[in-house]
Amino acid sequence: MKSESLKVPLGELAMRFWMIGSVVVFCSLAQTARGADEPAGNPGKKVAKKTVDVSAFAREIDQLVADELKQLGQAPRPEIDDYTFCRRIHLDAIGRIPTIGELEAFIDDKHPDKRARLIEELLHSKGYNSHWYNYWADLLRVKDVGDKLHHSGNFSEWIKESVRSNKPYNQIVHELVNASGKLYQPGNGATGFYARESMPLDHLANSVKTFMGMSIECAQCHDHPFDVWTQQDFYKLAAFTSRTHLRVEPLPNVEKAIYAKDRNILKQRDFDEWIVYRESIRVKHAAIYGNGTGFMRLPHDYQYDDGEPHEVMAADVPFGDMPEINYEMSKEKLDKLSKNQFGPEINARGSMADWMTSPENPMFTKATVNRLWYMVMGTELVGQLGELTLDEMGDHPALTEKLIAIMQASDYDTKLFLSAIFNSRTYQSQALALTATPPEYVLDGPAVRRLPAEVIVDSFLSLKTETPDKYVATEFRWDGFTNFYDKSRDMTANDFVDYSVKGPGRKQFQDREEREAMKRNGNMGPHELWRVSTFGRNYDDHWIAMLMGKSNRELIDDASLEPTIPQILFMMNGLGFPEDALIARKLSEAKTKKQKMELLWKAALGRLPKESEAPLFAHAPHDVMWALINSNEFRFAR
Amino acid sequence: MDRRDFIYRAGLTGASLPFLNATAASETAAKAKSVIYIFLSGGLSQYDSFNVEVDKPILGKSNIIKSNADGVRVSHYYPNLAKQMDKLLVLNSMKTNQGAHPSGIYKMLTGYNPRATITHPELGAWVNKSLTTPEDSLPNFVSIGGGRSGTAGFFPGQWAALPVKDPSEGIDFVKRHQAVGEKTFQKRLNILNTLNSDFQKNFGAKDTQSYVDTYAGSLKFMNSKDIDAFELQNENANITKLYDKGEFGRSCLLAGRLVERGVRFVKVNLGGWDYHDDIYGRMPGNAKKLDSGLSALLTHLTQKGLLDSTLVVVSTEFGRKPEVNPNAGRDHHPDGFTCLMAGAGVKAGQIYGATTKDGKHAEENPLDVTDFNATIAWRLGIDPALEENSASGRPFELANKGEARTELFL
Repeated sequence: MKSESLKVPLGELAMRFWMIGSVVVFCSLAQTARGADEPAGNPGKKVAKKTVDVSAFAREIDQLVADELKQLGQAPRPEIDDYTFCRRIHLDAIGRIPTIGELEAFIDDKHPDKRARLIEELLHSKGYNSHWYNYWADLLRVKDVGDKLHHSGNFSEWIKESVRSNKPYNQIVHELVNASGKLYQPGNGATGFYARESMPLDHLANSVKTFMGMSIECAQCHDHPFDVWTQQDFYKLAAFTSRTHLRVEPLPNVEKAIYAKDRNILKQRDFDEWIVYRESIRVKHAAIYGNGTGFMRLPHDYQYDDGEPHEVMAADVPFGDMPEINYEMSKEKLDKLSKNQFGPEINARGSMADWMTSPENPMFTKATVNRLWYMVMGTELVGQLGELTLDEMGDHPALTEKLIAIMQASDYDTKLFLSAIFNSRTYQSQALALTATPPEYVLDGPAVRRLPAEVIVDSFLSLKTETPDKYVATEFRWDGFTNFYDKSRDMTANDFVDYSVKGPGRKQFQDREEREAMKRNGNMGPHELWRVSTFGRNYDDHWIAMLMGKSNRELIDDASLEPTIPQILFMMNGLGFPEDALIARKLSEAKTKKQKMELLWKAALGRLPKESEAPLFAHAPHDVMWALINSNEFRFAR
Repeated sequence: MDRRDFIYRAGLTGASLPFLNATAASETAAKAKSVIYIFLSGGLSQYDSFNVEVDKPILGKSNIIKSNADGVRVSHYYPNLAKQMDKLLVLNSMKTNQGAHPSGIYKMLTGYNPRATITHPELGAWVNKSLTTPEDSLPNFVSIGGGRSGTAGFFPGQWAALPVKDPSEGIDFVKRHQAVGEKTFQKRLNILNTLNSDFQKNFGAKDTQSYVDTYAGSLKFMNSKDIDAFELQNENANITKLYDKGEFGRSCLLAGRLVERGVRFVKVNLGGWDYHDDIYGRMPGNAKKLDSGLSALLTHLTQKGLLDSTLVVVSTEFGRKPEVNPNAGRDHHPDGFTCLMAGAGVKAGQIYGATTKDGKHAEENPLDVTDFNATIAWRLGIDPALEENSASGRPFELANKGEARTELFL
């Protein structure tokens, strides 16, 4: 990993070229060159270029860790061997263990820089897309939600596109916070993030927690008991998003002019037809309205001395620089209006998105690197994911600052940031169990931790087939309502009636559109070979993953890493592999008992058996296989 | 470590010891040892079941029939329960603030309005966490049938319900795979122990130990004689014959067998009550299931001498409107719906509360769902004001400020 730098343009990197040693790429400065009024989704025309030296980043991380260890008089952890590295990088970059073939190919690879090459290969693979789609879908809690987000397909497609195109993290967040318009319009799925929440204040609290890692929901109703947030701070921040709302029905004038008459006729005539009529019109018209007025009113029961119930609050930020807002009405004027008035819409929400994702925002980048570090290292760099405080910098503030700087220098390119970590000696150190006994854990490498539910289940797939990433979410679409939205562009009121009367019926409406949308996917292969990410939009589509603790996407960071009785009963008595599974075929090809056993250890645990484990060779391969897959070593990253 | 130990130790190890409530209020109140909580998701039509004390036209096609309790009349869709109304208390003045299914179900089962920032534990999880002791032989929260499976909310996952999707199948994977003999199974476990001990030496921590413990616990669970509770065919014929062969009947039978073995909170789900159209064509089948299953359960518990210590509850997220709509269905109605209670000293054979005669509002003794939950907790000897903190330190009370309606009991 110590050879010369080679410079290649980003485009080539994306085409899976990799370079020797230092990973150096150009990347766009579009975000930093962006004006406040330009949406983040459209990088400006001027694209400056600068070099980003990933291996230099990696060295900087390692230097800080080395300094810290030296100061503490603690020895650096041993570097991991190729077997351990291969398993770990597969788990962290693409969310599954390597297949036996992938492992053996890596071990046999004679290139001195094979680790860097594997990192780049995996970061640009379909497996990466699957793994990081799961990350975003959980974080943003993608699922169908009653009348609000009746069909999360468009939301899901937007995430997939963001992952596929490696959209910068800050741009993703800016687009989510500033989303508006039709819910099911192709490409506008970011609106699903607003539709996800029924209450605007809850939505704000969740946005702050998701993107800035802070828990402010207490301040919704009263001053935060242990933090600096006051209720008034909360309302001033809410002023940016004021009047943003989801409306699923057509606007009243449209309803009256086009739909009202038929709607009444159908309602009197046939329940099913009426429901289909209602639903299909909603698909066309559901939208996020309002982009923020910059004014909010204190609640009717406001209890503190610094304000009156219903008093007008102008938007303000609790920390960082106040973004520009172009008000069209003064606070004084609004004060004189009735208490249900909030002023004209002026896209104050866009200003909040600017503030939130600004490199100057003291929480945004910190929360982002905290999350990503947690994903790949298994511990919090700064603090509990959704409970950070303004001044908190973690146990190793200089390291936190460095990672923030790396994220910013990478223009929030997640792959570059991960590549810096993955290429570090720190990442490639022996994992440490988090116990009270020495050596103390000082953010000097990965922690032993249980694999996420999807990673466990997808790892079964690595034992089943040579091509576990053949069927991943990002290759397929599940956007039935977007399919109908497209059709509805040219539909008249009469067409809607026709569709309802001759159409699919209440239960089948969504199914029919979904089926039609999925035809575009072509051959999707057998379910048994799908990555977990591919199982539809909703959290409960994969019951084994649910058993393993997959998030039900009700709340942020809601996945469980705990054992439960049903989970263990399944592992002991329910998990099986088909006779034509990769591991079964390989077993029958292996000639000697020793070969068979080595094969099993490599396939399940990604390593050769230890000498001390040789006595286990006496058992039947199937029994050993069962034990390996049930072992803690299988379900924990080490 | 035995299995009971495991039940509350599994998961976040050492997260909390079982909380045995001992407030003055609960000492005098602990009359119920167990609760069987039958949940009718979709919204039971009160005017086609147990609230017939309204103006006649409101009853639609329901006819009034007499019951075996003086002054208690029911709809003709419940002929078997009509013979058992002396065991049931009818609550005709239920109120909720939610009018949509997901939020209504959430409110009824947790006592809280749904929020996007937190998940509240279901009542069963509060009971599980409060009453589980090392002496218990089965998990204290079991959820039978489809629907919400019984979330632990912000509690550690160990307090969630043990789900039983199909009462005839019992607990999934609780038996060894048929192709694996006992000897082979033991051999496998030995290999596993070797591997895990080695891993524990190098990489062991609380969470890896938690897995080792849970395997031990799950094995004891597999081998426990109390697992017999899930083997419905082992029940005496004179009990089994009380029930029909349908899924709900078998769920009730299983619930009875579980409380007989001391399980504290068994939730039985019976969905499908959301009749916005053709209510009189579609509802009778479901009503028959409830009529048959619940009346069999009441007889079952009586014969086993369990009804005095078991509070049987029938609830639903809201009721249905007094008007029958143009599609011959009834729409949602949160203000004045009906729930039932039986056993554990409840004032059986009576009606509590009433709606206005036009069926539009709960009028006499309105009973909010938070008070309903508080009453159940109180009867189990748990203080309804019991407070627990979420992970971020926010305090929540079991009954969300609901108050126990003690006058419902003798």
